[in-house]
Amino acid sequence: MARRVLAPGQKRVSAGGIAADTVTVLWFVFALFPIVWMFLLSLKNNVQQTSTYFGFTPTWTNYLTVLGGKGEQLTSVDFKSAVLTSVLACAGATAVSLVVGIPAAYAAGRWKYRGSDSLMFQMLSFRFAPELMVIVPLFVIYHYLHLFDSTVGLIWVLQLVTMPLVVWILRSYFQDLSPELEQAALLDGYTRVRAFFTVALPLVRPGIAAAALLAFIFAWNNYIFPLILTDSNATTVTVAVTKFLGGGGQAYYNLTAAAALLGVLPPLVLALCIQRYLVRGLSFGAVKS
Amino acid sequence: MSADETAAPPSVPAWRRGLRPYLLSIPALAVVVGILYPFLSGAWYSLLDYSAGNTHVKSVWFANFADVLGDPGLWRSVGVTVEYALIATVVETVLGVGVALLLNRSTLIGRVLEKVLILPLMVAPVIAATMWKLMFDTNFGILNHVLGLGHTFNWLSKDHALFSAILVDVWVYTPFVAVLVLAGIRSLPREPFEASDVDGASWWYMFRRLMLPMMYPYILVAVIFRLMDCLKVFDIIYALTAGGPGTVTTTLQINAFEDSIIHFDYSRGSTYMFLLWVLVFIAARFLVGVLTKAQKRAAGTEG
Amino acid sequence: MASLTLDTVSKSYGRTRALSEISLSIADGEFFVILGPSGAGKTTTLKSVAGLEPIDAGSVHIGGTDMTAVEPYRRDVAMAFESYALYPQKTVYDNLASPLRSGRTGRYTPEQQRTRITEVTDTLGIGHLLERFPRELSNGQRQRVALGRVLVRPAGAYLLDEPLSHLDAKLRAAMRAELKQLGAMSSTTTLYVTHDYQEALALGDRVAVLREGRVVQVGTAAEIWSRPVDTFVARAFGQPEMTLLAATVDGGRIRTADGTLDAAAPAGLDRGPVLLGVRPRALVLGETDGALRVRGTVRLAERLGRLVELTVHSGDTDLVAVVASVDAPAEGSTVTLSVPPGEVHVFVGDRRWGSVAGKEDHDA
Repeated sequence: MARRVLAPGQKRVSAGGIAADTVTVLWFVFALFPIVWMFLLSLKNNVQQTSTYFGFTPTWTNYLTVLGGKGEQLTSVDFKSAVLTSVLACAGATAVSLVVGIPAAYAAGRWKYRGSDSLMFQMLSFRFAPELMVIVPLFVIYHYLHLFDSTVGLIWVLQLVTMPLVVWILRSYFQDLSPELEQAALLDGYTRVRAFFTVALPLVRPGIAAAALLAFIFAWNNYIFPLILTDSNATTVTVAVTKFLGGGGQAYYNLTAAAALLGVLPPLVLALCIQRYLVRGLSFGAVKS
Repeated sequence: MSADETAAPPSVPAWRRGLRPYLLSIPALAVVVGILYPFLSGAWYSLLDYSAGNTHVKSVWFANFADVLGDPGLWRSVGVTVEYALIATVVETVLGVGVALLLNRSTLIGRVLEKVLILPLMVAPVIAATMWKLMFDTNFGILNHVLGLGHTFNWLSKDHALFSAILVDVWVYTPFVAVLVLAGIRSLPREPFEASDVDGASWWYMFRRLMLPMMYPYILVAVIFRLMDCLKVFDIIYALTAGGPGTVTTTLQINAFEDSIIHFDYSRGSTYMFLLWVLVFIAARFLVGVLTKAQKRAAGTEG
Repeated sequence: MASLTLDTVSKSYGRTRALSEISLSIADGEFFVILGPSGAGKTTTLKSVAGLEPIDAGSVHIGGTDMTAVEPYRRDVAMAFESYALYPQKTVYDNLASPLRSGRTGRYTPEQQRTRITEVTDTLGIGHLLERFPRELSNGQRQRVALGRVLVRPAGAYLLDEPLSHLDAKLRAAMRAELKQLGAMSSTTTLYVTHDYQEALALGDRVAVLREGRVVQVGTAAEIWSRPVDTFVARAFGQPEMTLLAATVDGGRIRTADGTLDAAAPAGLDRGPVLLGVRPRALVLGETDGALRVRGTVRLAERLGRLVELTVHSGDTDLVAVVASVDAPAEGSTVTLSVPPGEVHVFVGDRRWGSVAGKEDHDA
C-alpha cells in the first residue's frame, strides 16, 4: 500500500494521493459492503434469497414478517417483544447506572480519597472480566430469586456493561471541569448541592449524553447475558436475530438479514447523534477529541 | 465585629467533610458489591464439585484446577484464544493506524467516508457474525460469488474457521482503533511536522521519528482495549461456528460455556473462567503500567 | 463589613507545605495587600479565608466569629478568582446576577438586581457586554466581569486574586487608580493578592509580603519600601531592583572589595561581611554634600521615556541608577554618582540591620 502525504502540513503528491484515495475507498467498500448486502438480502423473497445475487425483485415483506405476527409462526421468534425487552432493559440499565454512577464519578473526579483508585480500577476490571465468570453463579442465583428470564434480571447484570462506561467517562468530564466554578458558586451563596446542580451538572451535560447513549448502545449490543440469563420471556434483539437462522427446516436468510438490519438500526442512529463525543466515550475518557 | 449579634454559623468538622466522597460513592459501591458477589461465588465454585445433577456439593479444593490444567482441551483452547487475540489485535492495530493516516489527509473522499467510519463498530458483534455467516455460505454466500471461489471454498472449514472469525472481528473493531488513533493524530502539535517538512525530511522519516512516538499512547489505549476484549471473545465465535468444527475455534469462554451451561458442570466452567480472569488481570495490570509511562512520555514530548 | 484574622494557619498538599503558620489581622474596612512571587501561597491564603481550602491547623475569624470549619456559603465573603471562574453557560448579566439570586446576600427584586448590575458594569466599563457569554470576551473583559461579580454584592470581605493581572498595561494603570475609589471597595474590608509591587504600594493600606508560605513582613507601603526586613523584600519592591553589593566591615570602615564604596561604618555594626543595598533611584548624578560618591563609566544607557536607566561600571561592580533623561550622560562617559548614607541599606546575614547612616529601630 502506497500511503503517502500523511503528515499534517505536507503537500500532496498527486500520484500518491490517488493511490491513497483508492485505498481509502477500498477500505470503505470492505467496511460497508456487509451492511449493503444485508439490505439487498432483506429485500429478497424466499426463493430468490438462494437463487439470485444482485438481480432480483425487491420486496418489503420480510420486514413486515419480522415485525408482524407472521415471523413468530414461521420461526417462533417474537421480534416485536424482543425489541420491547431490549428497549426496557437497556434504558433501565442506563438509568440505574446514571443515577448511581454520576455521584461516584463526581466524587472520584473531585476528591482524592482513600479507595477511590481501587473503586475505579474495580469498575474497569468489570469491563474486562470474562462475562461467564459472573454469569454462571448468576444463573444459579437468578433461578433462586426468580430473576431468570426477566427484564429486572437483565438490568442488574447489564450494570457490568453500563456502569464502568458511565463512571469512567463522567469522571474524566468532572476532572476537566475547573473546581473554581463550583467554588465561585459557593461564595455566591449556593450550597454544595445547589452548586452541583446549577454549575457542575449543566457543564458536563455533553458527557452525560455521551455516556448514556454509549451505555445504551453497548447494552443493546450485548449478547452473552441475555443468551444465558433469559429464555422466551425476556429475549432481546441480539438473541432474536440469531434465532432466525436456527437449526432445522427452512433457513430464513432473508428474514435474518431484515432482523439484523432492524437490530443494528438503533445503535447506528444513536451513535450518529453523539459522534463528536464518541472517541472520548469509547476510550473511557482516555482520548479526548 | 460583634460576634454575638447573630447565632454562630454551623461548623462542619473536618471528618464530616472527609466523608463526602464516600457517601457519594456508596450507591456505586453497592452495585459493585452486587456484581462482585456472583464474581466471588464463581471463584468459590471453582473449588467445589458443583453441577446441576450433584445434590451433595462439597469442596474439592484444587481438584478442578488439577483436572482442568491436566486436560489437553484447556491448553488447546488457551492456544486458540491467544492466537485469536494476538492476530486480531495486531491486524486491527495495523489497519486501524493505516485507515487513520488515510483519513487524516482530509481529502474530499476522506471527509465524506469519515462520517460512516464507525458504522461497523456499532453493529452488535453477534449480529455482525450472523451477517458474515450469511455471506460466508458455501453455496449461496455472496463472498464465494464475488471473489470467484465457486461453490467449493468453505470459509468455516477446519483450516479457515479461525481466520474467518478473526476477519469478522477485524471488520467490527478496526474502526475502533482508527477513530482513537485519528483523534490522537489530530491532537498532535503541527510545529514539529512543519519544521521537518522545511528540512526536507521524507514522509517515512516523519512518520517513524515524529508521528509514531507521539501517537504511541493513543495506539496503546486501543491495543489494551482490543487485546482484553479479544481474550474473552464469545459472541462472534458462538454465532459463527459455536466453537467448531471440532474444537478449532473453541476459545476459553466458549469452552466454559459448553461446560457450565450446556453440560451444567458449573465448577468446571468456573475454573476455566477463573483461569481466564487471571490471564486478563495480569495483562490489564501490565498494560495499564505501560500506558501510564507512555502518557508521561507523551506529555514530555508535547509539553 | 468585617475584620479578618488568620491565626497560625498551616496547610499542606501532600508533602508540600503551602502555608506555614500564617498570622494576619486585617482591620474592618482596611485594604490589605498580599504580595509575593508565584507559589508563595497567596491564593491558598485567600481560599483559606473563603473556606474553599480546608486548613490543617490554625483558625480563621471573620468579623470576630470563628469561621475555621464553617462552609464557604455562610462566610459572607466574595472572591474574584485569577482564573475568573465565570459560569460558561451563563451570560455576563446572569453571571453578575448569580450572587444576588442565591438569597444569602440579601433579597433583591429583578429591578434592584438590574440597578446594581448596571451600576457596577458602568464603573468597570463592561456595560455593553451584558448579553455576551464569557467565551466571547477578551481576558481583560473576563477579569472585569469577575471583579464585577464581587462588587455587585455586599459582603463582609472582598477577596481579590490578581484582579488586574490580565488587563493591558494602560487599562491596568487606570483601574489601579480607580479601584480604591470605588464606593463598595472603600467601605469593605478587602484582601488583595498580587505579584506586582506597584499595585501593592499604590493600593495597600498595609502590605504583607509572603514567601514560600510564610509571612516575611507586614507594614504600610512606606515602611516596607524604606525598611525592608531582608534582601528578599528589598528586591521584591522596585524596578529596576535594588543593587546589592558585597562589602566588609573592618577597622571602622565599610567597603566593597574593589573599593567602589567606602564609608565610615555606623556605630554598633560588627566586623564581618555585609550586603549593601542601593535603590537605583536613590543615586543622583553629581556630587552632593554628605553623600557617598561613586565614580564610574556608563556602560549602558537605556531610555525609559522621561527617565534613563544607567548601568555604571566601577571597579568590578555594576551599579544601576535611574536619572532624568535631560541630564543623562552618553554611554562611555565618566560620571560621579552620589547617594545619601541613609539610603544605603545594610544587610547582615540577609536581614536588614539599618543603613550606613546608622541602626534603626524596626518597630518604630
